[in-house]
Amino acid sequence: MNMTRIAIVGGGTGGTILANALSRKLGEEIREGLVEVVVFERSDSHVYQPGNIDIAFRGADPAGFRRPPSNLLRRGVKLVQKAVSSIDLDNRALKYNEGEKMDYDYLVAATGSVATPELVPGLAEASLNFHKTQEDSRKIWEALSRFKRGRIVILTALPHKCPPSPVEAVFLVDELMRKRGVRRDVEIVYASPYTRAYPAHGIADVVEPEMENRDITLRSLFNIDYVDPSARKVFSLEGEELQYDLLIAIPPHRGADVVINSGIGGEEGWIPTDRHTLNIKGYDDAYAIGDATDIPISKSGVVAHLEAITAAESIASQIEGTGRVYLYNGRINCPLEMGGKRAVFVSGTYTKQPERQPPSLTKYFMKRLFNRLYWTMLRGSLEPIFNAYLGSPYEVKHRG
Amino acid sequence: MRHVVDARGSFCPGPITELIKTYRKAQVGDEIELLATDPAAKSDVAAWAAKSGNEIVEMKEEQGYIRMIIRVSSKSK
Repeated sequence: MNMTRIAIVGGGTGGTILANALSRKLGEEIREGLVEVVVFERSDSHVYQPGNIDIAFRGADPAGFRRPPSNLLRRGVKLVQKAVSSIDLDNRALKYNEGEKMDYDYLVAATGSVATPELVPGLAEASLNFHKTQEDSRKIWEALSRFKRGRIVILTALPHKCPPSPVEAVFLVDELMRKRGVRRDVEIVYASPYTRAYPAHGIADVVEPEMENRDITLRSLFNIDYVDPSARKVFSLEGEELQYDLLIAIPPHRGADVVINSGIGGEEGWIPTDRHTLNIKGYDDAYAIGDATDIPISKSGVVAHLEAITAAESIASQIEGTGRVYLYNGRINCPLEMGGKRAVFVSGTYTKQPERQPPSLTKYFMKRLFNRLYWTMLRGSLEPIFNAYLGSPYEVKHRG
Repeated sequence: MRHVVDARGSFCPGPITELIKTYRKAQVGDEIELLATDPAAKSDVAAWAAKSGNEIVEMKEEQGYIRMIIRVSSKSK
């Protein structure tokens, strides 16, 4: 009997959870050499990206938020620490390590997104950001630690990952400036691309009064067009301008190079993906999960996680021939920290909008606890708890 | 040129995200046809069009979704 190979491109949150879920479901087949699960991840460091908030706004040690990918994968998963240069969906093959070829039976693109300030003229030169690397995040902490007087502008460009992160940054900058005793001399402006501070109305209704209470200025419908670093001014598509002394930007994101170079995701690199089956459109043997997809849902770790669980079920079902199809329901559940040890959870599905809720200490501690549980979660041992509290992320149907 | 943006089923970050992505690439004179199921899209798009100086040509309730046509009449740069 031929071996079935599942190739997972990308070992971030989604790719790691998916590989570990498959190794649980198909453990026997893997041990008997009937199935191989291969993860391609060139980085030698898996970074817990929400930790960038703590690095940038609390001065946390970056080392606490990264681990080697090899330590995170269950036994039976093969890790190839090489970059994939192209994916050929029609011929079920990929190229890696500058020319080596590998055929596959099933593919999962978990290739993520890339924060790209270079897409906006002047932005890379003028701004700091916490959506790229831990080093970049550290630079924000250093700048904020020195900042004594003037205007800090926090600005969001579209599209970007982690919708709560800009607002979290705003509140934590406010908190830090108060702790440092300089808040009176610091103006904080949040430039939002939406009509409100947060895209979901229910959450905006909680966030906006809090901003007002803390003397944070909201500039809505400000979609960045370009920056003039010498004049320290940002200009919007809507024809407005904004002066800054320190600019913290959430840059526009695009898909991964391998997606763009393989001609899969257009010039922005978002993979056309069925929002329920998570199949790459036109291919029942290929899936895309997490930030990499073009699904109109938040690009966040929780979505990558839940899509990974759903895709793992579908792939295992295809291999075992059960006839079951697993359909992602669009569940999200993202914590949003508001400073003062309070947080809300942005929860919803494709058919249910996030609802208004009071910020709470409990939710703040749940978020902090999750920072510690992340590494355990990657291995899949917390799934029964998540499902018990939050419900299943998918519906099950039979083919045909 | 007509750009069709199907944002049906999207709540967060919402149809306006898709609209602005398309607007960024569009030329003056182009039309953007935005399909959305989120009722908030109507007021969002109206506010954005008013602020950015673009024109809403049509805003219509279809069966189960809203169809909006925006003419790109202003680009800041």
